[in-house]
Amino acid sequence: MKKLFLTALLATLPAASAATLVFGNNGEPVSLESGNITDGISILVQRQIYDTLVDFKNGTTDLAPGLATSWSSNANATSWTFKLRPNVKFHDGTAMNADAIVFNLRRWWDKADPYGFRDQGRTFEIIGDLLGGYKGDPTAVIKDIVKVDNMTVRVDLNKPSSVLPNVLAAGYFGIASPAAIKKDGAKYGTPASKAVGTGPFIFQSWRTGDRVVMTPNKSYWGEKAKVDELVIRNIKDASQRLNEMKAGTIDFANDLTPDSLKSVQADKNLVAVKRPSFNVGFVSMNNRNQYLKNDKVRQALSMAINKKAIVDAFWNGLAVSNASFLPPVLAWANSSKVPADYKFDPAAAKKMLADAGYPNGISIDLWYMPVSRPYFPNPKPIAEAIAADLSAIGVKVTLKTEDWAKYLQDRNAEPGFDMYMIGWTGDYGDPDNFYGAYYGQNGSSDISWNPPEVQKLLEQGRAATTQAAKAKVYAQLHELTYNAAYRVPIAHSQPLAAARSYVKGWVPSPLGSESFNTISIDGKK
Amino acid sequence: MGSYLIRRVVRTLLVMLGISLVVFVFVRSIPGDPAVAMLGERATPEAAAALREQLGLNKPWFFNPANPMDAQYPKYMGALLQGDLGSGLKSNIPVISELKSRFPATAELSVAALLFALVVGMPTGILAALRRNSGWDNLATGISLVGVSMPVFWLGLLLSYFFAVKLGWLPPSARLGYEYTIEPVTGFYLIDSVIRGNGGAFWDALKHLILPAIALGSIPLAIISRITRSSLLDVLGQDYVRTARAKGLAANAVTIKHALRNALLPVVTVIGLQAGALLGGAVLTETIFSWPGIGSWVYEAISQRDYPIIQGGVIFAALVVSVVNLLVDLSYAALDPRIQYN
Repeated sequence: MKKLFLTALLATLPAASAATLVFGNNGEPVSLESGNITDGISILVQRQIYDTLVDFKNGTTDLAPGLATSWSSNANATSWTFKLRPNVKFHDGTAMNADAIVFNLRRWWDKADPYGFRDQGRTFEIIGDLLGGYKGDPTAVIKDIVKVDNMTVRVDLNKPSSVLPNVLAAGYFGIASPAAIKKDGAKYGTPASKAVGTGPFIFQSWRTGDRVVMTPNKSYWGEKAKVDELVIRNIKDASQRLNEMKAGTIDFANDLTPDSLKSVQADKNLVAVKRPSFNVGFVSMNNRNQYLKNDKVRQALSMAINKKAIVDAFWNGLAVSNASFLPPVLAWANSSKVPADYKFDPAAAKKMLADAGYPNGISIDLWYMPVSRPYFPNPKPIAEAIAADLSAIGVKVTLKTEDWAKYLQDRNAEPGFDMYMIGWTGDYGDPDNFYGAYYGQNGSSDISWNPPEVQKLLEQGRAATTQAAKAKVYAQLHELTYNAAYRVPIAHSQPLAAARSYVKGWVPSPLGSESFNTISIDGKK
Repeated sequence: MGSYLIRRVVRTLLVMLGISLVVFVFVRSIPGDPAVAMLGERATPEAAAALREQLGLNKPWFFNPANPMDAQYPKYMGALLQGDLGSGLKSNIPVISELKSRFPATAELSVAALLFALVVGMPTGILAALRRNSGWDNLATGISLVGVSMPVFWLGLLLSYFFAVKLGWLPPSARLGYEYTIEPVTGFYLIDSVIRGNGGAFWDALKHLILPAIALGSIPLAIISRITRSSLLDVLGQDYVRTARAKGLAANAVTIKHALRNALLPVVTVIGLQAGALLGGAVLTETIFSWPGIGSWVYEAISQRDYPIIQGGVIFAALVVSVVNLLVDLSYAALDPRIQYN
């Protein structure tokens, strides 16, 4: 028996294929059900399994054909028609057609849809956020979803929206197999079920807390995967992601801390990969505060912060300073009449504060988040640096923080924070996705400033059908918000990713996740 | 003995009931709302309110005058009595199935950590007691002090960096390399790989277990070492040991036969107490080592305010600690004939 056991121990060698690609994800996906997630960790996994109706060109936020080969709207952008790609099958062999698309869109949008499983805890909250609400809601963007013919779907809107294709291209909206959803019911998307899409990788298993394993889809309509197996591991801790990469137990990973850059560059087996920036970290000032409701005070504070020095000190050069509220790829929507943001000028700031009636300075609270976010990798020292800059013009700053979930809640609850750090990562490449989140009716209520002209411009922006027309509208919004100076952009960060040197063809998307079908393993692992 | 057991089981059930109520109120009293945590930066007050309603979190906690059963606690308890702990708020994964797949991982890690703590802690404690005030004793004291005061996550990262990155001897994290799969039988990888006759997976699982077990075992090791030392010193000063020595028994025989067995009692108590501490330590250790157990899962749930997962995790942890303490109390009787349960 003992001998048998030993023989068994010695005889079994790993049976893994040479071309297994291993990615270190920032944690465990919440769910593999498309339309019902909001976190980047889940999106990253879903991007491999599902296609979206519209896609993005590699490494950009420009639209490209996905499951729809073309799309067009009527003149005032209140109705969009999508022509579908023929001969595409889901991984379970069922056909991708208009019925399948309508099935997916309806279960997200119609609260009464029998396959939405809302009685069992499904929420699809991203629809409420990006598309104004659900079927029948007064604020909902979508009025109806119609099958025109077997390969054509039409989406009718309650109000003009030129960005519907961009929204539907976002990683939340992967198209899943209706047959698989009907088969697994409310279990769909959990580890006990198989996620079925049309994407470049086929889901094999999800070992809870540990990894998701996929194999290439040999009959994929687009660029076919170049590896034999894809393993996505959950590695929550950023230092451990780096350790794993250095040890060669994973091949590539996202969101390393900016201070790991040197360590990555010093390792000949690793290559630093910079993701194009598509986020903004900023400081917001609250109109309810007795000092901050004064325009001049806000402008003085905006001039007092040395953004470039902060970016150099805390991002290791992995960020863009001196930029507007919009990330660099959306710079076309900025005005040429005002600078991107306030120039650092402490002397002018001090004078402006005196002109505002506070020659002896003021006292305010500055809140910073207790967690690392992609746009503020280490909030506390950044907050300290901002406080030091402000104290140089006579502003006494009290630094405050609290638990992240509470922080997010309290900033919007009366009276809110005086000044606080927050940010945004874009879902799709349109200025509305940034401005709309923090200004106007659907925006955050953290600064208590919501003039009608801002709302009007936001609506004009959503209705504008060409980039030139959009640029005109958003330039006005840029001027208006620049002069109001309620939100001070600090940086657009480029989250640091890295890969082992044999990983070729990885094109990081500014949106934070992309399909790994372009990646090959070149040479020996 | 039988009636004692029944009493203990009933008491445990009452404790569980109490814990379910306490944790239910406690998680809902933590400031910060699950809907807001779920939405992150998107959490406008309107969006959060709509999501709360969808999740049923706007219902009264205990009593709904309109419909007595339509409140959160009665619903939760109704399901609990049928063995249903609910599902993750956002993931919709049943808490029970998650516990089933994750508990073996935590148990395997905790047992390994405890074994490491005992195997290293007891001998150092014994030696420290026998060579009192020697260099060895001081060294053992120093090691214990470091073990107790070094944060587990820091130690974990150091171990990972040194043994995995620098030396390349062991994997930095995870429970098993991607080359292997083990079809679960007991859920313990070391046992299952042997049952399945998969030697490669056995070694791989063992290699993955070493570093997290050392990190998690560092605090119990220090405590066990100190308790062993003081308890043995205490026993060595007792009359019966002096008598044994006076009878001319060899020093080793006295130590091993007479003193050690009696000195073990407090050590067993500490093991019982450490069961809770291990589950607590597992939270950090599992997070650092990407270990797919209960600790990392509950940790994530707390930051996300995922009520059903936190409740399920805490109730289950309480059950584990209760059972371990029952076993400890029963092993007393085996170790010390003066103790009897009736």
